[in-house]
Amino acid sequence: FPPAFQAIPRNPIVLDLAYNTIDFPSLENRMKKDKKGFISRLWR
Amino acid sequence: MAPKPKEKPKPSQSQASKPVIAVEDLFTTLNRHIQRSEYEQAVKVAEQVLSIVSNDEDAIRCKIVALIKADSIDEALSTIESSRRLPIDFSFFKAYCFYRQNKLNEALASLEGQEGSSAAMLLQSQILFRLGKLDASLDIYQKLQKSKIESLEINLIAGLLSAGRASEVQGVMEAL
Repeated sequence: FPPAFQAIPRNPIVLDLAYNTIDFPSLENRMKKDKKGFISRLWR
Repeated sequence: MAPKPKEKPKPSQSQASKPVIAVEDLFTTLNRHIQRSEYEQAVKVAEQVLSIVSNDEDAIRCKIVALIKADSIDEALSTIESSRRLPIDFSFFKAYCFYRQNKLNEALASLEGQEGSSAAMLLQSQILFRLGKLDASLDIYQKLQKSKIESLEINLIAGLLSAGRASEVQGVMEAL
């Protein structure tokens, strides 16, 4: 005692790959139009 | 976060342009929440858009996706249900929600008619796996192997092992 460790088979892992395909629509065209201009002004 | 107080349009201003500006602002806020993975807040802002434009497809999609990502599967399903009258196809989202609730036959039924897309194929394969239809599940993964889906091999090998086809694992690994 204690007994020696032993390897046991386990169930293989299954991932929820379908979850990764669920994504938000692009909102680029729905936001304020002048946003890009504003940011590029900041970086000038 | 407290919801932004909605401004009442002043009578002197154009009544038509005001909601457009408000909606653009809301989408900007919504986008920020999405980028920061703040899904509960994203739901609230999407609802604010919908209170102005009740049928806005982007807002409804954002609300459903944010609810799914916030693990509010029941609410996602009820949102899909209440959008039924709109000409928007939410059957993949619906199938995914049913899958998460372990309502596997309902999930399969919702996927009918969209077998072509790789997202639908992945979900179908996962449902079949849970139903114990391992060979059918594996057939789909093998069809999808060409599509270079990240981590697909994990489920493919798990399926082969569960199906008692461990002897094929070596070959699949070498083909990767």
